[in-house]
Amino acid sequence: MSTAASLRVDGLCRRIGGRAILAGIDLEVAAGECLALLGPSGCGKSTVLRVIAGLDPCDEGRILLDGRDITRQPPARRRVAMVFQSYALYPHLSVERNLTLGMELRGVPPEQRERELTAVLELLQLSELRRRRPAELSGGQRQRVALARALLRKPQLILLDEPMSNLDAQLREEIRPQLRAILSGGRAPAIHVTHDQQEAMGIADRIAVLHDGRLQQCGTPQELYHHPANLFVAGFIGRPQINLLPQADGTVVGIRPEHLVAVGNGGLAVRVLSREWHGASQQLLLESEQGPLRWTCDGNQAVGDDLRLGWEQRHEHRFRQASGERC
Amino acid sequence: MNALLLMAPALLLLLAVFVWPLLDYAWLSLQAQSVFTGLEAVPVGPLNWQRLAADGRFWQDAWQTLRFALVSVGLELLAGLAIALLLHQRWRGRGVVRSLALLPWALPTTVMALGWRWIFNDPYGPINGLLQSLGLASVPFLAAPELAWLATVVADVWKTTPFVALLLLAGLQMIPHDLYEAFALEGGTPWQGLWRITLPLLRPYVFIAALFRLAQALGVFDLIAVLTGGGPASSTESLAVYAYLNAMRFLDFGYSATVMLGMFLLLLLGAAALLVWRRQAEVRA
Repeated sequence: MSTAASLRVDGLCRRIGGRAILAGIDLEVAAGECLALLGPSGCGKSTVLRVIAGLDPCDEGRILLDGRDITRQPPARRRVAMVFQSYALYPHLSVERNLTLGMELRGVPPEQRERELTAVLELLQLSELRRRRPAELSGGQRQRVALARALLRKPQLILLDEPMSNLDAQLREEIRPQLRAILSGGRAPAIHVTHDQQEAMGIADRIAVLHDGRLQQCGTPQELYHHPANLFVAGFIGRPQINLLPQADGTVVGIRPEHLVAVGNGGLAVRVLSREWHGASQQLLLESEQGPLRWTCDGNQAVGDDLRLGWEQRHEHRFRQASGERC
Repeated sequence: MNALLLMAPALLLLLAVFVWPLLDYAWLSLQAQSVFTGLEAVPVGPLNWQRLAADGRFWQDAWQTLRFALVSVGLELLAGLAIALLLHQRWRGRGVVRSLALLPWALPTTVMALGWRWIFNDPYGPINGLLQSLGLASVPFLAAPELAWLATVVADVWKTTPFVALLLLAGLQMIPHDLYEAFALEGGTPWQGLWRITLPLLRPYVFIAALFRLAQALGVFDLIAVLTGGGPASSTESLAVYAYLNAMRFLDFGYSATVMLGMFLLLLLGAAALLVWRRQAEVRA
């Protein structure tokens, strides 16, 4: 990964009516890199995007794009493109007019406009649809038009605000690799906001987990999964959720459902409460003296079975109960 | 059969309040029913229609009505758009101003027309009072044909602009805010946004407002009856006022029905022409 960060955000703060929506966010995104901003709804991830785009004011902190301080610049001057959750396509204009309007406003000459339009229509397989209005397009097609519009901006940074949330599950999985290929094909860094960890892991080079307006952890999907920095990240990343077992010494042991193994003696005594069969694996809900446990296994247990479970030391995560931080 | 049964109440209502009076008027326009016939209906064939075709006052009034409607509705659309854009912005006290701005529209037309008659009064009205205090001669607003016509337009614009503004404000609120954000990120200015986004997306609302207002303005009666009575020298007279005079002052019910039907047919023709024009414009687009 290149060390020359293309986007740098230092100590970003945003307050609304005295309440801190963002409390000091630091981010770095390198040229050509895609960063996912992941968090539950209301954590402030869309606000980060809007402040970087200049649509919401920045109360504190700095935003540097290729070394240029854009913190106080109006949105039009930032050379930042955004794909909105709603796609925000102009409903009264055809696909091609939606795509060329921005170039027209920026004074791009007509021949160049036509050339770039043809190229981007080709890239996103929209050539057949150029005369259609947004209302005559499917959700996936609209998303491609919104992405095409963002690419035509020739941005130094692409922001995507939950671009998949209006698509059905199957389409999302189809589009993920395409989106990833298109984003890494350009040199501009990208920030992709989502609440869906599958999507974040599928698209992004790195993931920044946000909670309550604070950055919890930023790293590759593997780092987040194998070394969660605190209890929130441990609980948020990974499905089914990690098992958290409070200990007598004021720590919490986290163990992922797939890392539990059946043992002959010792370990925890459990009873199978319910079972979901997923084909390759089965998902069990267990009852233990430590509370309910989740276990992913490929065995064939039945509801009501009694057994004993343990785990290897290397799979254990330990957190401080009070602060939630990793030990 | 079932469908017809379900539609029957609405159909009957339409027949009773719309089709039947129209047919009654059509029948009346073929009768002479005036003081000369002792207010009895006497069949006279197309006599009333022949009189209408040659009636200079009817055609003069038709032109005056059209001019009044086009000019006042045009001004209302412009002023209404400006007010709607202003009321759509966020500023302190906007809520109060929004309610206050609707007041003229809530006022009964006769009341506000009386008010304007006083404002334009020569020489005691406030405008002439102001002119006189500045050492100028008072102006006979309601006694000079061109000025009286202007007075009716001013009063109509004052009263119905809030209605247009309200409709257009509703239209503005239907435009998603993120369109403007996307537009700004693409390098567009707010002024360009007005022309490229707001006005095109507001078009259906402008069309509805114009339709409602034209339908009302072409049938204008109360405002003119109270403000000028159609005078001076019938220079502000609308077709509705003329029909009213025929029935209630000249007691010529047959001809009054003919005037009203004539006006109805003219409006129908205008509406049909508009529809055809719009259809063709759509086909071209």
